[in-house]
Amino acid sequence: MSSVTDAPAGRVTNALGARLRRVREFVTETESPALAIIAAMTLSLLASLVGFLVVSDLTIVPFVVFLAAAGIGWFRYQEETAYVIALMMTVSTILILGLIIVFIFRESVPVLRYESATVLGVSVPGLRMFIQPNWDAVSPPIRYSMVPMIHGTVMVTLIASAVAAPLGVSAALFISEIAPATVREVVKPGVEILAGIPSIVYGFIGFTVLGPWASDQFQTTGQGSYLFVGIVVGLMALPTVVSVAEDALSSVPESMKSGSLAMGTTDWQTMTSITLPAAFSGVSSAVLLGVGRAIGETMAATVMLRGVPRLTEPLVNVFYGQETLTSIIARNYGEADGLQMDALFVAGVILFVTVLVISVGAQYIEWRMHEKLGGEV
Amino acid sequence: MAGAGQTDTQLVEGNTTETDAVAAVAIGLSAVLFALAVAAMFERVSLTGTLAGVQTVTLLGGLLTALGVAVIAFGAGSRLGYVETDPDPSAGLIAGFGAAVPWVVVGGGVASQTLGLGTAGGAVGALVVGGVAFALTVLPREDLGSTLPLGSLLTLTGLVFLTGVIGPDWVWDLGWAQTASITAEFFIPVATLFSALYGGWASAKSYGGFGARGRHMGAYVLVYLNALSIVAFLFILVAYVVVQGVPGLLTGFELGLGTGPQTTILGVSVTLPVSVPFVMNGVALLNDFQGVLPAIVGTVWLVIGAVVLAVPLGVGAAVFLTEYADRGRFTQVVEVATNGLWSTPSIVFGLFGFAFLIPRFGNGKSLLSGMITLGFMLLPLVVITSREAMLSVPDEYRDASAALGVSKWQTIRSVVLPAALPGVVTGVILGVGRIAGETAPILLTMAGGTFIPGSQTVDVIGSFQFTAAPPFVANPALLEATSALPYQLFALITAGVGLGSSVSDPNAFRWATALVLLVVVLSFYAIGIATRYYFRRRLTHT
Repeated sequence: MSSVTDAPAGRVTNALGARLRRVREFVTETESPALAIIAAMTLSLLASLVGFLVVSDLTIVPFVVFLAAAGIGWFRYQEETAYVIALMMTVSTILILGLIIVFIFRESVPVLRYESATVLGVSVPGLRMFIQPNWDAVSPPIRYSMVPMIHGTVMVTLIASAVAAPLGVSAALFISEIAPATVREVVKPGVEILAGIPSIVYGFIGFTVLGPWASDQFQTTGQGSYLFVGIVVGLMALPTVVSVAEDALSSVPESMKSGSLAMGTTDWQTMTSITLPAAFSGVSSAVLLGVGRAIGETMAATVMLRGVPRLTEPLVNVFYGQETLTSIIARNYGEADGLQMDALFVAGVILFVTVLVISVGAQYIEWRMHEKLGGEV
Repeated sequence: MAGAGQTDTQLVEGNTTETDAVAAVAIGLSAVLFALAVAAMFERVSLTGTLAGVQTVTLLGGLLTALGVAVIAFGAGSRLGYVETDPDPSAGLIAGFGAAVPWVVVGGGVASQTLGLGTAGGAVGALVVGGVAFALTVLPREDLGSTLPLGSLLTLTGLVFLTGVIGPDWVWDLGWAQTASITAEFFIPVATLFSALYGGWASAKSYGGFGARGRHMGAYVLVYLNALSIVAFLFILVAYVVVQGVPGLLTGFELGLGTGPQTTILGVSVTLPVSVPFVMNGVALLNDFQGVLPAIVGTVWLVIGAVVLAVPLGVGAAVFLTEYADRGRFTQVVEVATNGLWSTPSIVFGLFGFAFLIPRFGNGKSLLSGMITLGFMLLPLVVITSREAMLSVPDEYRDASAALGVSKWQTIRSVVLPAALPGVVTGVILGVGRIAGETAPILLTMAGGTFIPGSQTVDVIGSFQFTAAPPFVANPALLEATSALPYQLFALITAGVGLGSSVSDPNAFRWATALVLLVVVLSFYAIGIATRYYFRRRLTHT
């Protein structure tokens, strides 16, 4: 009962205490030479990390020390060394995510300062990037607005989701519930291979075949349209939707399906009234992850779009494709420097945060589903 | 599927084969229309020309009308009791929405454009017509509800084409500031396509005799069609690249003793018996045939570097997460972090490499930065797949090993890792396939130059040097910008017209590059999938 009434701070202290106790146990149980080696490994690795971060030429020295310590540890105290190395590797995944966050945010600070706007007497950094639609890096007034690119990304993502979600879920149903075993053995690798086709190849085909065809069909000036970029990106996001949704569908306990079938329902009735509702959260997280893929798709968009950062007129004009958040980075990194480069980092930050939120949301939904289906999954 | 359906029909409903035949013909008709629409969309069938002696548009209109009438007739016949079916009281809300969507489009289009009522009038028209279609689907008994609105839609579309209201020369200028028009070339195939889908759905329902079995049939037709289209799309895509790329790939191809370039294999100098200049040459002024060898070698080194970095890190992390750590806050954070890394857009990895790695490796784009960036991209995939593989190792294995009195690490090393190896290997190979085709990250971190001369093909092993000053080890090859296949293709696309001076046939060169890239990436996938089958078969046999 006390743990319920405890403040969160109390729980944190408890957890810390437990951790400390475990560390102390580990220290007392381990022989002191092994401890020394572990300490040497940890310290030297930390030192090389710091050295790397401050761009020191001497980084290699602590790293060699680390390698030596790890080598000695491996031969004398393999058990402890393996544990510590595995722990370090685990921490490195979190570290990489942390570094990404720190570095892309840090680079985007100057342009956020430059693009400050005053609201109710308070200067809000970066606000001007979102309240006016001009991107002009050459002639004054120099403005770096994200609005046209956000518009482009939203258009492409909407169209892509409209393509990927229904087709993907239906294909997942087919693979997991409907297809006979032999057909499944063809379709499933097929979908995987579809995921493997490099985005630049899609972009190339879109650029050489689809682009001229579309501009002819819709009598537009020049080629490049959100509609077809969206369709291509949707096809590229399709495999993600299929594989995640298929996992969710096949994790529905067989007993539930059999129970329904035993009532005399058709396969389709079982799917719509048992399997799909039970796997609903998994399927929706599949769609979410597909949306995330579509938002982050770069090369196909870069090659197929016009590369002029402005809004389409009118806003719903999907037959013209200007620029997305991803394509502006890939197109402009070469000649950009100073504030413009930092503005590209802002685009990167928007992408990163959006997709991270989507990913965490999808994981939360999946976790909820596993809780609901209980121990059977 | 059709066979099974037929058996069911006979078992359940006795002798209703004639009416079944009508519905089956309707399904067939939808399939023909679907195929015609796809062919027309890709301009395999000309809209202005004739087909089987009839104007194409007239033919499409006629077929659509016939299909629509057949669908309505079947529904009406069932309602009046001429056809033995088993309908539910209502077609259901989903079918209602399905039928309302096309009618919303029709209503909105007719009200705003044909009648000239403007946007507001169009919205009202769309709502009214869509609402009527919805009501007509949901309110009557299922046999009428699921045929009447869709049948009328088909008939209407068919009549519009038949009477020439929308003919091959029809154009609707949208009147937007950035001009765009919807032409008959686009509208007719698309309208036919969707009508055929709806027609197929309605007739499949009729074929199944409505009710639960009818809905089952209707849904299965659509789901099978979708799966078939995805596979067909994949085949067409790959085949198209192959057909376009092979001529460029094989320019200057020679087979025969002594034709190929000299290489050293295991210390013996060998003259290869084949010569494929496209994959064996770089670009140089004096070459007879230009090639992409530096880009291929660059890709290979890139992949090796990424694997060397990511696989040990990823497998180690997976070992810790599955074997050592208790499930708790820490493992949860790591899971969220790896999944977050997995879905991070590739261009963001590129930006990160640009900001973090480039200043640390000689302030210029370099192969090493590219390797590390791609390694970071590969890492989450390795962690996720290795974890899955280790989790699927049965606990009995671990218990049996622990019962022998060996330590935890020994159990991991000699029981868990070998058992999980197939899964790990497959995951790594598939992951490598994915990163080998990535362009965006190496764009910002590694790639430079559209055409790389053959003399600049990277030689990583040969250029390690030891120096007196820190950092004591240097490798100029690792610190130089180089090319890789996906970047090469991107550079070729963006170079556009400027390409003509260095390559005789730029288009063939581009397609050949795309083909080589596709072959490299898909062979990783083929190996990965084959490995999985091999291990699975071995596991099930033992």
